Amino acid sequence: MTMTDVAFYLLSGFAIWTGWRVFRVDSMIRATFLLLLSFTSVGLIGLLLSASYLGAATIFMMAVEMMVMGLFMVMFMMNPAGLNPMMMVHQHRLSIVAGLLIFAAMTGAVLLTPLPSDPVAADRPVLRDLGIELLGDSMLIFETAGVTLLATMLGAVVLSSRRGRFGPTDAGSVPPGLSAGGPPAGRQPKGGGSHGGHGGHGGHGGQGGKGAHDGHGGGGSHGGHGKNGGDGNHGGHGG
Amino acid sequence: MSLIVGLPALLALLLIGLWAAAALDTAIGRLIVGRPVGMAATDPLRAVVADYLRQRTDTEAPDHLNWLLAPGYYFLLAVVGLALVPFAPDQSLIALDTSVVLWGAAEAVVVVAVFLHGWSPNAPFPLIGAYRYVAIGLPVMLLSMFVLIAASIPAQSLDLRAVVESQRGLWNVIRQPLGLPLFLAVVMSLTLRGPFDYADSADLAGGTSAEDGGPRWIAWQTARAAMLVAACAIAATAFLGGYLGPVLPGWLWLSLKTLAVMVAVVLLTHLVPRMPVAQMLTLIWIVLLPIAFLDLLIAGLGAL
Amino acid sequence: MTLSAILIVSAALFGIGLYGALSQKSFVMLMMGLELMLNGSLLATMGFWSLALGGAPKGQLLAIIIMAVMAIELAIGFALIVAVYRKRQADVTEALETLAR
Repeated sequence: MTMTDVAFYLLSGFAIWTGWRVFRVDSMIRATFLLLLSFTSVGLIGLLLSASYLGAATIFMMAVEMMVMGLFMVMFMMNPAGLNPMMMVHQHRLSIVAGLLIFAAMTGAVLLTPLPSDPVAADRPVLRDLGIELLGDSMLIFETAGVTLLATMLGAVVLSSRRGRFGPTDAGSVPPGLSAGGPPAGRQPKGGGSHGGHGGHGGHGGQGGKGAHDGHGGGGSHGGHGKNGGDGNHGGHGG
Repeated sequence: MSLIVGLPALLALLLIGLWAAAALDTAIGRLIVGRPVGMAATDPLRAVVADYLRQRTDTEAPDHLNWLLAPGYYFLLAVVGLALVPFAPDQSLIALDTSVVLWGAAEAVVVVAVFLHGWSPNAPFPLIGAYRYVAIGLPVMLLSMFVLIAASIPAQSLDLRAVVESQRGLWNVIRQPLGLPLFLAVVMSLTLRGPFDYADSADLAGGTSAEDGGPRWIAWQTARAAMLVAACAIAATAFLGGYLGPVLPGWLWLSLKTLAVMVAVVLLTHLVPRMPVAQMLTLIWIVLLPIAFLDLLIAGLGAL
Repeated sequence: MTLSAILIVSAALFGIGLYGALSQKSFVMLMMGLELMLNGSLLATMGFWSLALGGAPKGQLLAIIIMAVMAIELAIGFALIVAVYRKRQADVTEALETLAR
């Protein structure tokens, strides 16, 4: 049992345990960063497998993605800090059975098929191979991925833009009531129908809505975070 | 590089660097406002002890685990960054052929660490500081990606050791002049300083550190100083030729260059004012990012 | 660190991700489940590339495509969540029970 084997078992155990804890913790921010830990473990296993670029890039991408996911968690989940116990599940037993069934089926398939064995040579220039492949034989795939990411960026901005194709997207929407079925919460502004300014992040909104923060790094633009408190129906804000 | 030689060397560089960072911050801060410099070299050491003995404060329903560990995450990332820096030809504590990408990953996780530090106290000003920092820190990381890729192009490798070796003829700061200024902006953002200090700034009464009592405060400041050492060492490695130099031994050159970059960063910290967040975002996305592309273009044309 | 061990680990991650995707009511948690499933498949790809393909570059390419798919799915997913919330105040899957506007 070499050092790499020990490291592999520790990392994979950690990846599975954190993956499971994602759905058990009450605090949504902790769930997000537990998923980041799971991805980091998989990235480190990649480094052990001499996929040096893939491992490091996994950690890189996932850190950025989980940061954005954390912001969305706080936006959309009712219990971001886990101050109350929470379990928002449906068809729970079905899901457990489905998960276990898939795991059993795949494990069975893995154990029963004769897997090929052709380990990567220790001195193979893995990175150079990847570079030549990406920009040589598979240039078309690479370029297509680039165009797809561009389409994603445009799509994300368009989908989450306040100025929809048939009128302002939140013209008919009202925030839910503070009590079930009660009048809408929040201040009702006189013009426009947008949600009343929840304080939000003083640093962002205070500049008369100039912030053009409609994109974040890591290979894809995610529709904005936070709400520019009460700037109504200004066009062209990507959220 | 073996662990027996490398680890003590790393710790020595880190400890001396920490003290130098704190002393520089104090000294330059006092010089600029016209106060006598006094005992700037030992004041930080006294502050460490004094802050550690101060009262520990707490807030209502904080995230205890992450509040305790956030300075630890930050410090760990600084140690990882410093471990990637080569001290001598082909000698770095973490020998990886994609060390540039791993440093980029460390930068990305810094944003997560600062966010957790602001999220955990369950208080308004730290939370605002955390959110502002995420908005600024993520695009600044893009800048660092592009300038480091530009620095890797002459080396034809993503390995920091190869990047240093490729500077034997000419340092990257001369053949890619836009790289180092942009990377200094990245360093300032990583260490929450000066014009990029949106997380811990005075206009938020301390931002993510607003609710930190004595021991937590000094832990966070220590981690910040460690990240300054690590990021400046990476800057010296990628742009100023690392351990290359005529007469003195390699590690001494590396230390001197790191110190020079640290002085530059601390000067910029105290001299350059901070813009409102929206203007800074516009600046990064519309001005700095195209300049980073230009830097990459220059590097690419130079390699043709 | 045999190929079977890696594939069993990735099957476990996939199973947990499937449990999450099927059981969570909230959209954002559902996406976390999807991310875990892609995590499992990324690990399987890296394992196959390293231990069964002898380092053929197309294996790494597939892993990079999976990472691109993760990014794209996250971006469009969040944009759709924002759009659906703006239109119908829906942040759980139960709220989207009808196709009616």
